[in-house]
Amino acid sequence: MPQVKVLTEFFDVPDSHKIDVWEKHGGYQAIRKVLKSMTPDEVIEEVKRSKLRGLGGAGFPTGVKWGFVPKDSEKPKYLVVNADEGEPGTFKDRHVIMNIPHSLLEGMMIASYAIGAHVAYIYIRGEYVHPARRLEEAIAEAKAKGYLGKGIFGTDYDLEVYIHRGAGAYICGEETALLNSLEGKKGWPRLKPPFPATVGAFQSPTVVNNVETLSYVPHIIARGADWFASLSEGTERCGGTRIFSVSGHVKRPGVYEAPLHTTLREIVYDFAGGIRGDKKLKAVIPGGSSCPVLKADEIDVRMCFDDLAKAGTMAGSGGVIVMDEDTCMFDTLRNIIHFYAHESCGQCTPCRQGTGWLVRIFDRIAEGRGMPGDVDNILEIAQNIMGRTICPLGDAAAMPVISFVTKFREEFEYHVREGRCDLEDRKQRVAMAS
Amino acid sequence: MPTLKIDGKEVWVEPGTNVLEAAKKLGIEIPHYCYHPALKVAGSCRMCLVEIEGMPKLQISCHTKAADGMVVWTNTEKVRKARQAVLEFLLVDHPLDCPVCDQAGECYLQIYYMEHGLYKSRLRENKIKKEKAKPIGKHIILDQERCILCSRCVRFTREVTKTFELGIFNRGNRSVVDLYPGISELQNRYQGNLADICPVGALTDRNFRFQTRVWYLQQAKSICPGCSRGCNIEVDYNISREYKAGGRRIPRIRPRHNPKVNGYWMCDDGRYGYKYVDALDRILLPRRLDEGEPVELSWPAAYTMAADLLSEATKEGADKVGVLLSAKMTNEELFAARKLFSSLGVSRIGFRVEPKEPGYEDDLLIKADKNPNTKGAELLELGLGAGKSDVSALLDAAEAGEVDTVVIFNEDLSKSSEAERAEAVLPKLGRVIYVGTNWNATAAKADLVLPMATFVEQEGTFTNFEGRVQRFWKAVEPLGESRTGLSILAGLATALGLEPVSENAEEVFAELAEQVPAFFRGSATRNLVSTGNWLRARLGRR
Amino acid sequence: MSVEFSEKALEQLRELLGHYPDRQAAVIPALHLAQEEFGYITQEVEDYVAKLLEIPATDVHQVFTFYTMFRDRPVGKYHIKVCESVACHIMGSTNVLDYLRKKLGIDVGQTTPDGRFTLTTVECLGACEMAPMMQVNDDFYGPLDEKKLDEILESLE
Ligand SMILES: Cc1cc2nc3c(=O)[nH]c(=O)nc-3n(C[C@H](O)[C@H](O)[C@H](O)COP(=O)(O)O)c2cc1C
Ligand code: SF4
Ligand code: SF4
Ligand code: FES
Repeated sequence: MPQVKVLTEFFDVPDSHKIDVWEKHGGYQAIRKVLKSMTPDEVIEEVKRSKLRGLGGAGFPTGVKWGFVPKDSEKPKYLVVNADEGEPGTFKDRHVIMNIPHSLLEGMMIASYAIGAHVAYIYIRGEYVHPARRLEEAIAEAKAKGYLGKGIFGTDYDLEVYIHRGAGAYICGEETALLNSLEGKKGWPRLKPPFPATVGAFQSPTVVNNVETLSYVPHIIARGADWFASLSEGTERCGGTRIFSVSGHVKRPGVYEAPLHTTLREIVYDFAGGIRGDKKLKAVIPGGSSCPVLKADEIDVRMCFDDLAKAGTMAGSGGVIVMDEDTCMFDTLRNIIHFYAHESCGQCTPCRQGTGWLVRIFDRIAEGRGMPGDVDNILEIAQNIMGRTICPLGDAAAMPVISFVTKFREEFEYHVREGRCDLEDRKQRVAMAS
Repeated sequence: MPTLKIDGKEVWVEPGTNVLEAAKKLGIEIPHYCYHPALKVAGSCRMCLVEIEGMPKLQISCHTKAADGMVVWTNTEKVRKARQAVLEFLLVDHPLDCPVCDQAGECYLQIYYMEHGLYKSRLRENKIKKEKAKPIGKHIILDQERCILCSRCVRFTREVTKTFELGIFNRGNRSVVDLYPGISELQNRYQGNLADICPVGALTDRNFRFQTRVWYLQQAKSICPGCSRGCNIEVDYNISREYKAGGRRIPRIRPRHNPKVNGYWMCDDGRYGYKYVDALDRILLPRRLDEGEPVELSWPAAYTMAADLLSEATKEGADKVGVLLSAKMTNEELFAARKLFSSLGVSRIGFRVEPKEPGYEDDLLIKADKNPNTKGAELLELGLGAGKSDVSALLDAAEAGEVDTVVIFNEDLSKSSEAERAEAVLPKLGRVIYVGTNWNATAAKADLVLPMATFVEQEGTFTNFEGRVQRFWKAVEPLGESRTGLSILAGLATALGLEPVSENAEEVFAELAEQVPAFFRGSATRNLVSTGNWLRARLGRR
Repeated sequence: MSVEFSEKALEQLRELLGHYPDRQAAVIPALHLAQEEFGYITQEVEDYVAKLLEIPATDVHQVFTFYTMFRDRPVGKYHIKVCESVACHIMGSTNVLDYLRKKLGIDVGQTTPDGRFTLTTVECLGACEMAPMMQVNDDFYGPLDEKKLDEILESLE
């Protein structure tokens, strides 16, 4: 199975981030077409038909989301780009921004036009200093050409794009926490309803979309929804390609774009070259650290949203984290739960208290002070977080716990019982990657 | 009107009502921490989860609007388990210092634990250390370890007082409630409410801390006498262990919900302003001055002396007598006093005392007029004509020699705008009778002093600035030999050989309502008398 | 420290304020600016930002304490942030950290006595393909091993 490159095709073009290069490769034609010959509704219909789904994590159909924005509202409407990219194992948005910022900007223009927004924000994580600069330069280039600002492309449509830098908080990737952060508040997610489409940024209707999601839009408009939808074969409710971020114990970590009927095995073995040192595969997290883990024998699953869900996991943000046979599952999960506890906003009880409690249990076991019943308690605590929180971070913390512990229970029991790792003897300390 | 079914019972509610409130209507109390009806919904404690048919996940009842046809279950196995889980989560970092916690008895961790907890503890982990017993305001102590981060206090300072002193800082389970570090204490005049709304022992009242255990307390419904707002309050009194709290029978008062007057709140001046009721300067016995020397009297002797003084004075002409009632007195007392003194022929009956400094006022509750019943006195048509100060008019008359006898009810003129003149003029008068609750400069110099009960020691009504007549009840017996205003007036009437006056506030109010058109409200009167609901006096229709 | 923005920073803030329909939205950008201006954020800085934006200082402090990039103390010339999240962790970030600790002679959260290096840990920086990786000031480095770390430290003057 080959990669199919829609976005990443340009990654190898020298200076692909420059507007002239981008235009030479057909850039900014889709927005011209939209402004000249399409109504907002036609744009939304086209995106719906393309079966493009949100690539930030939740997988919501993009066109449908745009359609929720009320047409009759007196309030301004906003487009907000989610460039917070914080889910461990995910780094594709950074590559998109560094290589093809104009694809994102053009996607933003089309989306803004479709929902009637005249101001769009890019919320980018604070640590992405260079990507933020790259975007600034791209915006300046577009402005200079009259593609942003008043009356873009010589029409009477105005659009301003502003960059808003975050400051270190994974939770701000959650769209309502992101909106609060954009408004100058701490990143506490909001209660839903209302949803951002009706009450979003600054009390106004807002669409939040991921960087990669929007970057596909110009290509969909330029080459047609049917073309995009048909890139994935036999996947009923999703189309196109997406960029997988592959990390961990593979020979060639990096970004790989492929249609959604691609299997996880193909990604790990064909694209990323298989396991480093030709070791055996132990497990893979298919969509960022919050997605339930798959065992080595479960990787023949297609990477489309529905098939992954059927396999008991999620497509998430497309962050594929590969673990070889020497990986300690207790240690890995302990690391993951530390992450979620550190990043819990602290607003709601089950997440704040549950993740904090789990951390202390894992640390105690790691210190060799496990107690009988610990494994069951861990599972029950995770189950008590699941589905009971304000935002999905609670689930994001609980799901890896439940899946790791259920699928590798004996390893956890061993740690509790023996106070050390059963792999220890076999496992050589992982040499630093060379 | 949405009609829904909760635990099998049907109920209809106003559109927009949440499921938690709808359940309340049926008498079903859904456990909750962060929800407070007067604050924006936070939906963060996750205690109020319920099962709603057709929804796969449990829903928080505080943020779910009641919808027509909704079927809600508040007490299924699934719901109980979820509540238990929330409680268990909250206890992970809770210090479990209930034996030394002042909130014991009204802590909703304890209460819900009894109702829903009772699982085997599997907490083996260390707890996070935070700050304990930190004074954060004149009246409030914060214990961060006991805090469950429900954010009620933070929302109160944002939404109600709009003073923004408190925030939740840091994140995750390192989150703490605290003052902004740039300030040293709470800066609002409503901080006592923070102790009320904190569902656990994290914010406690420095006035109440360690006074008594709440289970020794009983409650009387009352009205705050601190200003003309007339906030509805509950007086907590301690009779089973009287005098255990350093001689304080009233360890605290708290606001009582009245959406029309004070909502759920009251101000600190009102909340902590009641301490004079148990103060050492209470007047406990009638007393006269004999050549400047104080001599204590029995009540019969005091009534006789008062009657003699008044008879002597009125013999010279009822004009010679001036009466200064008080806007701190009840409608009933004012009415009875008006009746008594009028029947003696006295017409100089005032009540207006102007303070030295104008009172503080804001647009939340606090009114500049620090009297609870100015409107009542006005509706009874008391007063010496125009002007803010009846004291001034009386002093004018005294200086002009027109008045040589005054009866002063519970007003310390040394605190008034006329302090200096009063100090000069009063000693020159023939007779000064003072009826009041506590010793002060005015009482000290009176020829005769009669000890009066305070508002917690009697019942009656006040009319607030908007004309709401609000009833309050007695909490404790009058201290020492003090008597209620009505009782004193009845005793005086008898000693003067006048028509007997009732000592019973309800009876007096009935008579008042019949005679004073402004107070007449037909059956509402009965309503007022029996339930304490306010009625609105008919303003401007005399 | 005189707590006042330079004319340049004030100009930037004015520009930023134009991006939003209200002033509060500029808190995070303003704190970034303040950190660039003053190196770290003190309470005086919070009060100053609150005044500039006409919002309660409590709200500034809530934001300041929520986000990990804002700091309340100075850092060295090179601020080394070692990623500890799962992809880096399974690729050996613990070794990276141990090596840096040893080599710099400081623990996590500390600054070398010469003021050149501050060592902290961070959560996933969105560069797992470089695992194990770190950020020094604005730049990402990875994959790291001892040799690479030596080279990087040497190149940092
Ligand atoms: C805890 C949490 C973190 C998230 N982080 C990100 C993120 O970093 N980037 C992103 O695009 N979406 C993230 N999401 C998903 C967003 O909430 C939202 O669904 C997405 O931005 C919508 O865009 P899309 O429909 O284009 O995917 C996160 C969600 C949660 C619950
Ligand atoms: S689930 Fe966690 S991150 Fe989400 S709102 Fe609750 S505490 Fe915050
Ligand atoms: S101090 Fe009390 S009211 Fe405030 S958040 Fe904590 S528990 Fe809630
Ligand atoms: S009362 Fe509903 S979530 Fe707290």
